[in-house]
Amino acid sequence: MTLFQGTGVTVRYGAVKALTDVDITLEPGVVHGVIGPNGAGKSTFIDALSGRTRMTSGTVLLEGEDITNRPVGWRRHHGVSRSFQRTSVFNSMTVRTQLEMVAWRNDEPDLDGLMATLGLEPVLDQVCNEIAYGTQRSVDLAMALIGSPRVVLLDEPCAGLVADESVRMLQHVRDLCKDRGVAALLVEHDVDGVFRTCDRITVLNLGTVLASGEPAEIRANPDVVRAYLGSAA
Amino acid sequence: MNFAQVLNGIALGSLLMILSSGLAMIYGLRGVTNFAHGALYMAGAYVAYSVSTHINFWAALIAAPVVLAVLGAVLELVFFRRMQHRNHIEVGLVTFGAAMVIERVIVLIWGERTLSVDAPSGLGGTTSILGTDYPTYRLLIIGIALALAIGLVQWIRRSDVGLHIRAASHDVETSGILGINVDRVSLIVVCLGAALAGLSGALAAPYVSVYPAMGISILITVLIVVVIGGAGSIGGAMVAGMALGIIQTLGSVWIPSLSVLVPYVALVVVLLWRPTGLAGKRV
Amino acid sequence: MNAPTKTTGPTAPTSDTPVVSPGARRLGLSRGLALRGVVIAAVVLAAGMAVPYIVLDRFYISMLFDGLVLALLALSVGFLARHLGLISLGHTAFYGGAAYLVGISVTQWGWSPLMAALTGLVGGTVLALVMALLVVRSSGMGFLMLTLALGQALYQLSIQRVAIPYTGAFDGLQISFDADATFLGLSVAQMMNGALFWPVVWTALVLSALGLWLVGRSRFGTVLEGIRENEERMRFSGFNTYWPRVLAFTISGAVASVGGVLFALNAAYVSPDVLSFLKAGDALIAAIVGGLGVLLGPILGALLYIVAQSQFNQSGNLYLYTGLALILVLMFLPGGILGSISSIRKRLARRSAKENSP
Repeated sequence: MTLFQGTGVTVRYGAVKALTDVDITLEPGVVHGVIGPNGAGKSTFIDALSGRTRMTSGTVLLEGEDITNRPVGWRRHHGVSRSFQRTSVFNSMTVRTQLEMVAWRNDEPDLDGLMATLGLEPVLDQVCNEIAYGTQRSVDLAMALIGSPRVVLLDEPCAGLVADESVRMLQHVRDLCKDRGVAALLVEHDVDGVFRTCDRITVLNLGTVLASGEPAEIRANPDVVRAYLGSAA
Repeated sequence: MNFAQVLNGIALGSLLMILSSGLAMIYGLRGVTNFAHGALYMAGAYVAYSVSTHINFWAALIAAPVVLAVLGAVLELVFFRRMQHRNHIEVGLVTFGAAMVIERVIVLIWGERTLSVDAPSGLGGTTSILGTDYPTYRLLIIGIALALAIGLVQWIRRSDVGLHIRAASHDVETSGILGINVDRVSLIVVCLGAALAGLSGALAAPYVSVYPAMGISILITVLIVVVIGGAGSIGGAMVAGMALGIIQTLGSVWIPSLSVLVPYVALVVVLLWRPTGLAGKRV
Repeated sequence: MNAPTKTTGPTAPTSDTPVVSPGARRLGLSRGLALRGVVIAAVVLAAGMAVPYIVLDRFYISMLFDGLVLALLALSVGFLARHLGLISLGHTAFYGGAAYLVGISVTQWGWSPLMAALTGLVGGTVLALVMALLVVRSSGMGFLMLTLALGQALYQLSIQRVAIPYTGAFDGLQISFDADATFLGLSVAQMMNGALFWPVVWTALVLSALGLWLVGRSRFGTVLEGIRENEERMRFSGFNTYWPRVLAFTISGAVASVGGVLFALNAAYVSPDVLSFLKAGDALIAAIVGGLGVLLGPILGALLYIVAQSQFNQSGNLYLYTGLALILVLMFLPGGILGSISSIRKRLARRSAKENSP
C-alpha cells in the first residue's frame, strides 16, 4: 500500500480540459518532481491533489483511505500539506508569531530546528511584509513543513527567486525530505533544479502525462525532448 | 385584491426602479455603495417642491434631475475620484456622512414641516383603467418609469458611451489601458445616477409628499433592491425594484404586520444563497 | 495612560478590510502581560469610581453616563472591526434586544431587576449567536448589508401593531419596577440616577474592555487575525475558520447586550430608538472617529459623541456635524483619533531610530 496515490485525476472547466487522467504515487523520503510547459496543468494538479480545486473525476488515496472528498483542514491534520506558488503568508504578523501559531495547531516538536534549517532566525521578529521575498517563500515553505506532515505538495517553491536562492531552496527541500522521511511532490519550472533534486519525475503536457520515471530515463525520452526539453537537455 | 392596489404596487415599483437603477449604475462603475442615494432622492423632491410652487411641475421634472446631476458631479469630484483606490467600505461610509449632511442642510433650508406638491393640472383626477378609477398622476409615474427603463437599457446597450460604461464597470484597469477615459465615464455615470435619484424624488413628491425623513425611509429599501438585483446590474436592479414595490404594496394589504419584513428577508435569503445578487456580474 | 493595548498603524490598502492589524507581537498571553493588563484595569477602575464625586452637576454626570452606555455598544462594534475586519450595522439588535428583554421580563413576567438583567444579557448573546451563524461567512459590503438588514428587520418587528403588547411599538415600553426591587444592592431610584448607578456601568465598561483586550491578545486573537488576513492559508494549516468567527461575533454581541441591559435599567423606558438604524450609525461613527483599530478608540469616540450631542441637539444640527466629522476623519484621519496619534508616534520613533543608526 502506497503512502499517497492520485489515480485518474481529471479536472474539466466546462469545455476546457485542464487535466485528463493523471496518475501519481508518492513514497516516504522520495522527492517526485512534476514538470511541463506552461499550461500543462501543473498548478491545477496540485490544486486537485490538495483539495483546493474539485476534481471532475479521479481519486486520492492516503494509505489506502479515499480522501478525495475530505476538506482541506482534515487533510492537513492527517499529514497532507502544501505550499503556494503565489506566496501565501500572514503579512502583518511577525515570522515567529505565524509559525508558532501554525505549530500550535499542528504539534511541531522542533520548531526552532526547522526555522534554523530554513535560515529564518535573523528575521523571526520582523513583520512578514518587511522581509525579502525569498525569505517570505521560506516562511511559506516552513508553514507547509510544520507538524511533520507525511506528504508535502510544493507548488513552485522557487517562483520569484534568483538563481542562488533557488538552489538553496531546492537543497532545503531535499534535505528536509530525506531527514524527515517526507513524501514530496515538487512542481517546478526550473528544469535543471528538478533534475538535480528529484528521485522521480513526471512530465505533464496539455493536461496529460507525457512520461514518468527516473531522471535519466526522462532526459533520454524522445517525446519529452521534443515537447519540452529541446536539445539543451 | 383589487386592481387599484396592484397599480399602487406598480407605481411604487416604478419609483424604486428609477431610483435603484441610478444606484446600481454608480455601484457598477465606482464600486461605491452610495449611502447618500436616499438623500439625493430627498433633494430631488424638495427641489421639485420649490420649482413647482414657483413655476410649474413640468419645470420641476427638468430642474430636479439637473440640480441633482450637479450634486452628483460634486460627489464624484470631491469624493469618489479622490478615494478610488481606498477600500470600498470606507468610501461607502463617507457617503453615509454625506447623506447626514445633505439631509440636515435640506431641513435647514426648507424646514421641518411636511410639504405637499400638487400634481400638475390636468393630471389631478382619475382615469378609468380596466374598470377601475385610478389617479391619473400615478399612471404618469408608471409611464415615465417604463419609458426611462427602456430608454436607459437601450442606451447602455447600443451607444458608444454605454459600451464604455459597461466596459469600465466590468474591468476598470483594462478599460483604462484600452483608452477609455474612466474618469470621464465615471463623471457621466455618477451625474446620471444622481439625476435619476432626483427624478425619482420629483416624481414621488405629489404621491408621497415631501418630508424630512423621506431620505432615510427609502434608503434601506433601495439598497436592498440593488443588492438583490445583482452587484451593479442596472437591469437586475430595475426588475428587483419593480418586484419589491409590487410585493410590498400587496403584502401590506394582505399581511400588514409581516409584509414590512419582506425586503429584509429577501435580502438575507439572496445574500446567503447568491452573494453576488440575482443577476450576478452582468450589467 | 500607557495602556496595555496594542496600537496600530495606518489603514492598510488591503482588498477587503478597512481596519488595521495589531502588528508585531508574540503568540498568546503570557502571564506577565495578562497581569499588567489586569493591574492597569484595576487602577483605571478605581480612578473612575471617583468621577461622580468630582462631577457634581446632575446634567454632566448624566451625560457621561450616557457616554459609557454608548461606549459599550461602540466597543462591541470596534472589536469586531478590529479583529475580524468586519463592519457591522446590526449590533443594535443585541443592544436593543437586550434592553427590550429587560423591559418585557419586568412588565410581562414580573421578574426582579437582576433576573431581568440576566435575561437581557443571555437573550442578547443568543441573538448574537444566531446572527453570527448566518453572517460570519460573508465579508465586506455583503456583511454590512446582512447585519443592517437583520438589525432593521428586528426594528420593524418591534414597531408593528402585533408587537404592541410586548414593545409598545412607537410609544415604547415603560418599565415599572416593584417599589422595593433592588439590583445589586441599589434601589430603583438609585438605578435611575446616573451618579449612583455609575459604579455598575463603569465596572461593566472596564471589565468589558479588559475582557476584549485579553481575548484579542490571546492565541485565539491571533487565530482571528490570521483568518482575517489569509483565510485560505489558515484552512490549509488545519484551522477551522468558521467557528472562531462565530465565537468572536457572539462575544462582541454579548458586550453590546451588556450596554442594552444597563441602559434599560437606568432609563426604565425602552423605545424603538434602541434598535434603529440611527443608533447603529451613531455607534459606528463614534467607533470610527475614536479609532477602530485601537481598543480604546470607540470609548473615546462615544464620549466625544455624547458631548457633541449635548451641544448640538438643541439646534438639531447634531447629524450635520457628526456627518462632517465622519467624512473628515475617513478622508484625512484614517485610523481615527487614537489611530492617528499612534501612527504619528510610530513615525517619530522610526525617524529617530534612523537618525540614531549609522
